[in-house]
Amino acid sequence: MHRISFNLNGETTETEVEDYSTLMEMLREKFSLLSLKEGCGIGECGACTVLLNEKPVYACLTLAVKADGCDIKTAEYLSKGSEIHPLQKSFIKAGAVQCGYCTPGMLMSAYALLKNEEKPTDEMIREGISGNLCRCTGYIQIVEAVRDAAKI
Amino acid sequence: MFVGKDIERLDALEKVMGRGVFAGDLTMEGMLFGVLIRSDKFHAKIRSIDAVDALSTPGVVRILTHRDIPGRNGFGIIKKDQPYFAEEHVRFPGEPVLMVIALSERIAREAASKVRIEWEEIAPVLDPFEAANSKVSIHKGGNLLCHKRVLKGDVNRGKEESDVIVERTYSTQRADHVFLECEAGIGYPDPSGRIVVISSTQNIHYKQKEVSQLLALPEDKIRIIQAATGGGFGGKLDVTVEGYAALGAFYTNRPVMVRYTREESMLANTKRHPLYMSYRTGAKKDGMLTFVEAKIVGDTGAYASYGEVVALRAAVHATGPYQVPNVHVESSMYFTNNPVCGAMRGFGIPQTAFAHESQMDLLAEGLNMDLLEIRKINALRKGSTTATGQVLSHSVGFYDTLKCVEPAWKSRNKKDNKGFGLGCMFYGIGNTGVPNPSGCHLTLNPEGKVTFHLGACDIGQGSDTALTQILLETLGIEKDSLELLKGDSDITRDAGSSSASRQTYITGRAVYEAGKKLRSYLEEKGIKKGRPLREICGEASRGGRIVFEGYFDPPTTSLDPDTGRGVPYATYAFATHMTEVEVDRSTHTCKVKKVHAAHDVGKAINPSSTRGQIYGGIAMGIGLALMEEFIPLKSRSLYTYYIPTSMDMPSVETYLVEDEEPTGPYGAKGVGEPALIPQAASIMNAIKDAAGVRGYELPCNFERLCLLAQRDKK
Repeated sequence: MHRISFNLNGETTETEVEDYSTLMEMLREKFSLLSLKEGCGIGECGACTVLLNEKPVYACLTLAVKADGCDIKTAEYLSKGSEIHPLQKSFIKAGAVQCGYCTPGMLMSAYALLKNEEKPTDEMIREGISGNLCRCTGYIQIVEAVRDAAKI
Repeated sequence: MFVGKDIERLDALEKVMGRGVFAGDLTMEGMLFGVLIRSDKFHAKIRSIDAVDALSTPGVVRILTHRDIPGRNGFGIIKKDQPYFAEEHVRFPGEPVLMVIALSERIAREAASKVRIEWEEIAPVLDPFEAANSKVSIHKGGNLLCHKRVLKGDVNRGKEESDVIVERTYSTQRADHVFLECEAGIGYPDPSGRIVVISSTQNIHYKQKEVSQLLALPEDKIRIIQAATGGGFGGKLDVTVEGYAALGAFYTNRPVMVRYTREESMLANTKRHPLYMSYRTGAKKDGMLTFVEAKIVGDTGAYASYGEVVALRAAVHATGPYQVPNVHVESSMYFTNNPVCGAMRGFGIPQTAFAHESQMDLLAEGLNMDLLEIRKINALRKGSTTATGQVLSHSVGFYDTLKCVEPAWKSRNKKDNKGFGLGCMFYGIGNTGVPNPSGCHLTLNPEGKVTFHLGACDIGQGSDTALTQILLETLGIEKDSLELLKGDSDITRDAGSSSASRQTYITGRAVYEAGKKLRSYLEEKGIKKGRPLREICGEASRGGRIVFEGYFDPPTTSLDPDTGRGVPYATYAFATHMTEVEVDRSTHTCKVKKVHAAHDVGKAINPSSTRGQIYGGIAMGIGLALMEEFIPLKSRSLYTYYIPTSMDMPSVETYLVEDEEPTGPYGAKGVGEPALIPQAASIMNAIKDAAGVRGYELPCNFERLCLLAQRDKK
């Protein structure tokens, strides 16, 4: 067991993890952050994308111990109570959500992109979400949503 | 007020907040985990099973096999031939043999790895042509699942009248649904001794019947609830985890969670049917089609699932959306030892569309005609007769979809490695030539709201929102005055499955009917004279429960088994896709650049959502045309089975044609499957235009493109 401390969605916290635990297991099981989804468990689908020190990572491929001393943000970070982030608003408005399983991971990749690029081109948006698979939408309304959010 | 508007999806807010509750997110006190042990053989006899070490692993609660099944060890939409647990034989790699139930998933998996099964391998049958002639019989009744036929006119006369005849054979691949959420469900006993299953599903009422047969309990002792469902595409129509979760709860008297990893999902899940299609098509000098003769042979894998439906749908749609005076289609489906093929978006028609659309291009080339023109000349229109002898009297917007893409087609600029292709389709909405009803009901609650009881499963396509729009439009009330109760077999009528692009049309009409009844009641009670809905509801609910029922079964007839004649569907959707591709001749890769997609949807209840279906269908069509191919035991997860990413998507222009269907709610038909069907066909035709080579096998990945180019050089 390892004792680790980190900043999670804006609050400092600590916990104990096994050396084999993944960041996904820790966040889902110990912190009930259910926005992270498992779609493959091998870093192909991106449904478990979270930000580790503001960079998107696959939580299924990241060991929990790596979080020690880091800043972690999950999709839960984006809303405060019933107040949702502009990116979430534009996802709803553009029809970027169908089954919704990829949505939280997709939002985190898009959030990270918009942190670095205020006015991304469509090509940059496509590239920014290319590590997140979606089987329902064909990505087009997701790209629209990110583009709309960038305008705000 | 509501219909035709881009109303925001009802479930979008909770989903963007990460609060959508999918089955795998559920936890219950005392929850156990079930993990299945599966065959890794194509065809074998089980000699012995040694589960002693597994059973003695600390934390293991129970191990279940076929011997523990109290009722019927078999499920299937038509034939109940697929066992939950293999008895003496396994017939495909991935077939479940037993289940370990333990305190945690980790323990269950560890124990499962300790189970030793001794096999006696049997020669596997791996393709349908081999199955037709093999001495090895996969099932007692032989290897033929079914044979379907569609006959019209006289094909020999058609041949005599033809100025050009094109004869080619096409084949398509096995494909996986890759819904982002793998199968998951939890079963538990409720305080009254019933078994409840909450799962990721496309069809709650059907699964209630299957679980009741499995456990030998009356249907009212089984309750199925749909969790948020992360995509289905046909793969969550068959029983997936429901039987195992229910059986686990039945034996342990505790909640049992069964959730598949992606690897298990790919082993267990049904696939798209590979079809082999030999076509002969003829036309006169003026481009008029004279006949279509097609022989379709399909591989349904080890069990029946939806194989019969796919064989029949492929036969009924084999001509494509064209008037053909003489038709002869023979469609057979064989069992093999491959993974079970079932329902997957389009039910065989994305496959036949690849064949009939290639044939149309080849005929046009032979006649030196424009590719759009030959389609316009032959297009099904009002008054046309289909291959099954059905006269299309209404809502036939196919010609309009061709007209939509015509400006883009005429101004296309063919150069270098760029090419353009057309793909067209028609698709019968709902089940084929069988009764296919939906029901729903409305009640009034004491809080002054209308309660909408909806049994249709929203699997991501947006049916909850579209059906709510239909109801609000019919009632003329505000969104806040409605409460939606859905996806629970206890409180909803059977609305059939979310398949065959049927929910908006069939359940939508049932919702409209219920809405009309309630509307008259409200008017009788003075709503038009300004009496508040709140008051009417309050009064009604005090006087006992009043139920307003809606029901619709589309007017169809059964098909003659010898000729296929009849009215298989009450209505059809139509579409044309025009696709631009760029083929890189040094790397043999094809990039889809632009798609013009025109769809006759009858009426777009929610245009944004309708476009969402079209975009998603195009993505899946790109996968089918260029990259996806499921190879048993090799396609293990998403690193050996690729689906399109955002980088593979073209820009898309959509055109919505609204040739209203009189029996549909506000004229609506369906779009879920039509969105996908013409896409692969249009890509294959575009590749021919771009690179000068025509592919006859899907997917046309870079290996196949490379082979085509090499053959072309010779």
